[in-house]
Amino acid sequence: MSDIRKWFMKSHDKGNGNAKLGKPASIDSGKPPPAKSQPDKPVHPVQENSARKKTSKYFAADKQKLKDEIEPEEVSTKRKSQKDIEQSLKPPPSKKMHTVEDDDDNDDDFVLPTPKNSSDVTPSKKLKSSSGRGVPKKLVDLEESDDDDHKDAKSPPKSGGRGRGGRGASAAPAGGRGRGGGGRGGFMNFGERKDPPHKGQKEVPEGAPDCLAGLTFVISGTLDSLEREEAEDLIKRHGGRVTGSVSKKTNYLLCDEDIEGRKSAKAKELGTTFITEDGLFDLIRSSICTKTPVQEKSKGTEKAVPSLAKKTPQKADPKSVSPQGLASDSCAALKKDQIIKPSSLTWTEKYRPKVPNDIIGNPSLVTQLHNWLAHWNEQFLDTGKKGKGKKQTDPGAKKAVMLSGSPGIGKTTSAKVVCQMLGFQAVEVNASDSRGKADGKISKGIGGSNANSIKELVSNESLSVNMDWSKHPKSVLIMDEVDGMSAGDRGGVADLIASIKISKIPIICICNDRYSQKLKSLVNYCLLLNFRKPTKQQMAKRLMQIAKAEGLQVKEAALEELADRVNGDIRMALNQLQYMSLSMSVINYDDMKQRLLSSAKDEDISPFTAVDKLFGFNGGRLRMDERIDLSMSDPDLVPLLIQENYMNYRPSAAGKDDNGIKRLSLISRAADSIANGDIINVQIRRYRQWQLSQAGCLASCIIPAALLHGQRETLEQGERNFNRFGGWLGKNSTMGKNLRLLDDLHDHLLASRESNSGRKSLRVDYLSLLLKRLTDPLRVLPKDEAVTEVVEFMNLYSISQEDFDTIVELSKFKGHPNPLDGIPPTVKSALTRLYNESSRSRMVRAADLVTLPGVKKAPAKRIAAILEPSDDVLGEQNGDALAESEDENSSDTEDQEGAANGGKKLQLDLEGLNSKAIKVELDLKGKENSSAKKKPAGRGRGGSGSTAAKRGGSGSTPATKRKR
Amino acid sequence: MLWVDKYRPKALDQMAVHEDVGQNLKKLVSEQDCPHLLFYGPSGSGKKTLIMALLRQMFGSSSDKVKVENKNWKVDAGTRTIDIELTTLSSTHHVEMNPSDAGFQDRYVVQEIIKEMAKNRPIDTKGKKGFKVLVLNEVDKLSREAQHSLRRTMEKYSASCRLILCCNSSSKVTEAIRSRCLNIRINAPGEDQIVKVLEFIAKKEGLQLPAGFAARIAEKSNRSLRRAILSLETCRVQQYPFTINQAIPPMDWEEYVSEIVSDIMKEQSPKRLFQVRGKLYELLINCIPPEIILKRLLHELLRKLDAELKHEVCHWAAYYEHRMRLGQKAIFHLEAFVAKFMSIYKAFLIATFG
Repeated sequence: MSDIRKWFMKSHDKGNGNAKLGKPASIDSGKPPPAKSQPDKPVHPVQENSARKKTSKYFAADKQKLKDEIEPEEVSTKRKSQKDIEQSLKPPPSKKMHTVEDDDDNDDDFVLPTPKNSSDVTPSKKLKSSSGRGVPKKLVDLEESDDDDHKDAKSPPKSGGRGRGGRGASAAPAGGRGRGGGGRGGFMNFGERKDPPHKGQKEVPEGAPDCLAGLTFVISGTLDSLEREEAEDLIKRHGGRVTGSVSKKTNYLLCDEDIEGRKSAKAKELGTTFITEDGLFDLIRSSICTKTPVQEKSKGTEKAVPSLAKKTPQKADPKSVSPQGLASDSCAALKKDQIIKPSSLTWTEKYRPKVPNDIIGNPSLVTQLHNWLAHWNEQFLDTGKKGKGKKQTDPGAKKAVMLSGSPGIGKTTSAKVVCQMLGFQAVEVNASDSRGKADGKISKGIGGSNANSIKELVSNESLSVNMDWSKHPKSVLIMDEVDGMSAGDRGGVADLIASIKISKIPIICICNDRYSQKLKSLVNYCLLLNFRKPTKQQMAKRLMQIAKAEGLQVKEAALEELADRVNGDIRMALNQLQYMSLSMSVINYDDMKQRLLSSAKDEDISPFTAVDKLFGFNGGRLRMDERIDLSMSDPDLVPLLIQENYMNYRPSAAGKDDNGIKRLSLISRAADSIANGDIINVQIRRYRQWQLSQAGCLASCIIPAALLHGQRETLEQGERNFNRFGGWLGKNSTMGKNLRLLDDLHDHLLASRESNSGRKSLRVDYLSLLLKRLTDPLRVLPKDEAVTEVVEFMNLYSISQEDFDTIVELSKFKGHPNPLDGIPPTVKSALTRLYNESSRSRMVRAADLVTLPGVKKAPAKRIAAILEPSDDVLGEQNGDALAESEDENSSDTEDQEGAANGGKKLQLDLEGLNSKAIKVELDLKGKENSSAKKKPAGRGRGGSGSTAAKRGGSGSTPATKRKR
Repeated sequence: MLWVDKYRPKALDQMAVHEDVGQNLKKLVSEQDCPHLLFYGPSGSGKKTLIMALLRQMFGSSSDKVKVENKNWKVDAGTRTIDIELTTLSSTHHVEMNPSDAGFQDRYVVQEIIKEMAKNRPIDTKGKKGFKVLVLNEVDKLSREAQHSLRRTMEKYSASCRLILCCNSSSKVTEAIRSRCLNIRINAPGEDQIVKVLEFIAKKEGLQLPAGFAARIAEKSNRSLRRAILSLETCRVQQYPFTINQAIPPMDWEEYVSEIVSDIMKEQSPKRLFQVRGKLYELLINCIPPEIILKRLLHELLRKLDAELKHEVCHWAAYYEHRMRLGQKAIFHLEAFVAKFMSIYKAFLIATFG
């Protein structure tokens, strides 16, 4: 089918463009984008025809359509010879603009009157008017210019006269079909979903706007040519619903291959109809035929509509008069005569719920509130009659209630409505009132500060200056936005608590964030009612009612989309809706999508979401400011995420790219740009050129994303198809750590006075030899000899055990054998033992000259201490080394003494704990503990003797140590 | 002791290579005054050795008695105080340090610490040599600001202090500093010179060097004497007595780089690029300086590359090296280079072989 269409288009082009006589085959292969593009805007002509039918009755649409269906076969075979026939044909071309003009051509052939042409001349107007398809068309327009260049370059001979050739073919990436599709399909994308096998090769039909209305679809598995997102979009555009899982309500399960998943099993169980992609297309296409009579019928009303519409200028913008729009909204138009006069009230006020049942969502909470308020009086006031402790378990046991939840979900409304219902007079105090601590004396407060009047209100039911109590014997205090009590409202919360304690009226507190620090004390005194966001269905239902009442024709899918976008905030949704109602009276899914694209509610975007959006299949259509917003949502992290993940995207810009050259060059450009970002970042941070931050985010986020946005694919086996966290952070910190270790090693080497190399050459040149000298003997020579040799070498360069580990660590490469492989553990332990032993007899270790931060003793003293013979035991006490810095001579011995004692203790402990397993290590310990002190304390340790011993201990268990 | 250190010439007279430079330096310091010096040349050519020998010539054996100190400085930088930790190697007459270790705070090192040291004139009993020497390593890594601050210091305290600067490339040292110093270029020793040194060491160690073995090491050493001596010893550790065609083991990281290169040559795809990134990270984590990685990468690539691509690839390597210096996150630039190469090479392959 798709092939035929392709041929069709080619030949048509050739016929109409006159000049384009090239061989279709070569064009086909040479111009990937056009080829792909064709499926984009499929059945437009058909619809166009039907649309036109309304305006011009001469038009033989049906006949044409028939022809359409009959001809293809013929044409494809005899293409070349039958130019004439082709010209008279109505081929379904690939693109809207194209089709419009095609029809034009043909119209001319048919000698059609001019009015038609005029509408074509101003396509933009038309675009907007055709409610169902506003978005895609516009996009086509946008992308056209780019593609034109492309196309023109490739096919110069095309006639510029009509300016249609380029456009026709260039529709390609427009719809975002084909390659562009994808992005990430939410949770369904765990494994990598396969690409549709015939991705972008089929035309997506355009049916009557709501031909799928009332039908519910579930999509399963890989479709034949559509990405899942595209399929969803398609269904929603035609009024259908897409749900995630199969239920009784599901009408169709859309799948091309039976993947035996849960969905298909369930569907079989429930007897849901299976439908293939082609089936869906047919369904949509067929809608045109079935709709036709309806449209004809509506024609009668049509004429009446414009005049009606003009009476309510606000609602009836001229666009809605366009025939296409009217086709679907004739009933809406009928309604318009009863439209309520536009009132000055905003809809949010106008449709504020009057009765609890009107409140959307949280019905149980509203009931709870209602009960609480209803029973408040008997519970807390009429103590004499009923006894206070009677109903302890009742939620009313708390004297105040706190409603919490995100903005715009109806907390205040619920409170007010419930109060009204029960005949309470609500006194609302919100952030606009000062709510500081009340003055001690209530008497002062009469007519005075607000806080005082609250005090008064709660303490004395009958006294009031402001209120007319006779009418409303009962009153309720609504403290709105309590979490906003701050700076100006000193002691506000505490005062509120005090008020609650003495209150004789119910108090309702309202806040957004129940877990706010400020409210911590308050929550103990309140019954907590946490309002949840209403579901989108609930919201859509209510919105629908309102829309109906306002005479606005809105598709349900559109409302759900709206509800989805505003994130539960119904106030926001209403505002949006009202705004949209000013410019249009019929709102479709696409209108809504377009509208919300620009005015989505500001929400906290996580860096991951931002990166998803930038790279997503819609990424190319975001506006620049949106992109900047996204990348600025976390200017540090987003670039790192981008850098980590940019290779994973199959760029839609690469088009059909067999050998991957385009993709690689795009990646290379993106990498350049990311590197630019790094350079700019240096300017920003080091030289505080913050004015560059936009340029930085452009270079490090937006350009790479613009180049590479498309579908994500995994590069490694078993990787989840989600964006990875930026690896740079972790690697950088490891690098920092290793650099410090290398620094230590370097210091020690320098201190040994044997070497004088720089740190860089140490790593680059010395390290492999050092490693060889340290490990090779252990492998080849007999144990004792090897160990002696290595320890000698270590002593010579004052390489400590830690340095040894550093050298090994820095020589490890992934995929290479560990340098310590092949060294028997006994040799390792022998090495440690000997090293520690010899460190006892070691004279002034050059490394000890290094001043170590954290060690108080001056180097000179320490050296003196070390030089002192350690035989004469002076101190018996386990004094710590820090305290005795005065006594130079004794310090060393004392240290050792302490170390020895500590070591013995340790040894005993260990022996007690596990008898056998550590035996070998234990005798190591015995020897080594005595000499533990002089272990070069890598950096900044070396506190008391006992700690030194412990450290020695840990050092002496090579097995465990190595494991680290 | 490693042979590199064992046979390092201690005096200017004993230089095995650059004897002429040694003699000139000796004459220079035998006179009363000595200008600031800037030693530059590739690594392994003997700059450090010359400097050490020079110091010894100036101050006698007391310059050998060095101590290593890890010092913390608190530098007052306007609104905040910055903690800087630096390792210095000092004797009574000289202080050696590596100011670029402080990263982008190096200018504070220069402005505060070096100035502080330069100010203090050492008291000398004999009344002569009334100056102290500051040896600064890796001056080419200093940021521009640090270098600018350095030039003031050089002039102002020239009475009490001499600077000996040491770096690989003089092109990264600003003109102003270069003009204030006596520039001494230390060439990389020729292969014949290296062979001579190796034979000398072998003789001293009593080793039998098979014919041509020293030459092979010299060839592999990239004209770095240090490398040559180190690899001689590595060979010695690995296998002795030497055989004629004994393999000279490459450095661990060089081996890894050539692995990366063969990866790149084998396949050019996003997937491969991703793997290469992982390997580059591995090298960076193991403290291999990024410039050296890039240089080696280019070196290895050139060996396997078609002649017509060589020029272009060199150009890009230089381009990205420059950018790497401007930037901070080396991996980005390395990756950009690899991506660039892949894209060029793939296009080339397809253009050539279809």
